[in-house]
Amino acid sequence: MRISTIAFANLKRRKGKAVFLTIGIAIGIGTAVALLSLSSSIKEEIGSQLDRFGANIIVVPQSNNLSLDYGGLSVSSVSFDVKQLKNEDAKNVLDIPFRNRISNVSPKLLGAVAVEGRDVLLAGVDFESELTLKRWWHIAGRKPENEQDLLVGYEVARALSLIESTTPATAQHVSHGGSHDPAEDKSQFKIIRDQLKVAGKDHNVAGVISQTGGPEDQMIFGSLAHVQSLLNKPDQLSLIEVSALCKDCPIGDIVAQISERLPQAKVSAIQQSVRARSETVERLTRFSGAVAAVVLAIGALMIFTTMMGSVIERTKEIGVLRAIGFRRTHIIKGLMIEVAVISVLGGVLGWGAGMLASWFALPYFAETGVAFEFQPLLAIVAVAAGLIIGTVSSFYPIVRASRLDPSEAVRYV
Amino acid sequence: MRLCAKLTMSFVTIEKVTKVYEADGESAAVKVLSDVNIEIVEGEFVCLMGPSGSGKSTLLTIVGAMNHPTTGRVLVDEIDVYGLADERRADFRREYLGFVFQQHHLMPYLNSLENAMLPLATASMSTKEKRERAMNVLDKVGLADKASRLPNQLSGGEQGRLAIARAIVNEPPLILADEPTGSLDTKTGHEVMEVFLKLNAQRQTVFMVTHNPENSALAHRIINIVDGRIA
Repeated sequence: MRISTIAFANLKRRKGKAVFLTIGIAIGIGTAVALLSLSSSIKEEIGSQLDRFGANIIVVPQSNNLSLDYGGLSVSSVSFDVKQLKNEDAKNVLDIPFRNRISNVSPKLLGAVAVEGRDVLLAGVDFESELTLKRWWHIAGRKPENEQDLLVGYEVARALSLIESTTPATAQHVSHGGSHDPAEDKSQFKIIRDQLKVAGKDHNVAGVISQTGGPEDQMIFGSLAHVQSLLNKPDQLSLIEVSALCKDCPIGDIVAQISERLPQAKVSAIQQSVRARSETVERLTRFSGAVAAVVLAIGALMIFTTMMGSVIERTKEIGVLRAIGFRRTHIIKGLMIEVAVISVLGGVLGWGAGMLASWFALPYFAETGVAFEFQPLLAIVAVAAGLIIGTVSSFYPIVRASRLDPSEAVRYV
Repeated sequence: MRLCAKLTMSFVTIEKVTKVYEADGESAAVKVLSDVNIEIVEGEFVCLMGPSGSGKSTLLTIVGAMNHPTTGRVLVDEIDVYGLADERRADFRREYLGFVFQQHHLMPYLNSLENAMLPLATASMSTKEKRERAMNVLDKVGLADKASRLPNQLSGGEQGRLAIARAIVNEPPLILADEPTGSLDTKTGHEVMEVFLKLNAQRQTVFMVTHNPENSALAHRIINIVDGRIA
């Protein structure tokens, strides 16, 4: 017989209470595990979605600018020694060591063209990568399919009388970012003319981009090769937008690697975008942590209350043990063994229940079916947390039990 | 470490012991024991008698190293019991004392063998040795054949004998008993007293609180206490 024998015999004797405590710890740990697991998965999803939504690195040709001041008057800056970006530079971006962190490369050529007597900014883009990058665009009409197809910005379309206002029921919108929700479409118009002469050549208006409030409202988009031909700038690019999966990676390193690969280009990170992403992710983590902490605190309080009750209930037993020569440390050891067994069991069950709950719940919280992550490390953390919560919240009742005056305890009965 | 006292030397010395339970919010201070002096020699069987509330049990817990006297001191085998630190006093209880309670206070979830072994749980000896010692004492009190039974499967007398087995498993030189037959009928009470007499015959010192004149008649000496004073 050892102290542990008494502890295990006590657990067997008070099965109901042991099960109740185990379930209590399991619920606390399970909730925390489910929340952390869910937030971790959703964090991954948000991170990757944010990373896919829009560029966070801009590559433009290297040039030297000179601001001129003449007689106290500022005049337009002068660009000289302008380098050129080529089609192959867009491909070279994907040659950097961090290429697996790059989710999208969208090359562009910009130029002004005359359209029915107006000067309009024409952008040549790779529609596939551009539409992946600009997921917030809602297009009335269809996606461009051939070289003659154009996408027209809202303001340009209005100015050129390509559209007219209509009711939501008759609007024909195509959302290319996944599911299409008509309630999300704020612009209410329909295309009334699908032919447009750009730079003297006939083109099809495949679609009109709903109003975004951004520069695209004032632009027309065509396929990159076609626009290069129209602007007579074969193989040339004005800029390359790069979207890097940078939730946890150093964007500065990616910028440095692209700069090294494209010495003729100026590469800059859009810091605001990166900061916004990391802030969103951080807030979600903090919220999950706070909820988990509250749940665990409630669990700890429950263990504290139950252990206090248990100590009062066992006053006589503890008194007898003290009377027959058990030291305070022996009493503490025995009760701690009981708490440790319950806590570890609760931690393991809680981890299992939490993982199961997050596996079931994930489809209801995540939009894009992010993969459920089995996290064995979380099991260790869960068991350790169970043990810490169990022992810390039982510490006072156990120490109090060990301090029971044996004569009082025995007289208690 | 135990010092062997000579038969004529006092093994237990209770010296000018006074116990006052201090006043709290609900009750006034109560003086339970006043200037108690008792000496018990090794191998003696002493019964402490007195009416209810006379301070018998309080005195027993003071000798049992569980209840600090307000004044005075208790020496057992020349050890000043209350001069020891709390944890050392627990060791002293384990080494020197065997306590038999009126209600026996057996652990209901442990069988007879485990109950008898309980004081050995903290001892540094093999489980086999612990079992052997526990079986020996169960044999001594006539419960060897009921080693696997739980306390609620034993009769009142058997429970009393099991409580004695637990008290003597550590081979303590002093057995303290607080009305060990108080909750038993006459027949089972006799069974229990026989065990005490047998132990005393083997030179075990016994200090017993009892109301029962038949039990006290079996002792070497009877000490009467009235209103906290030795009469």
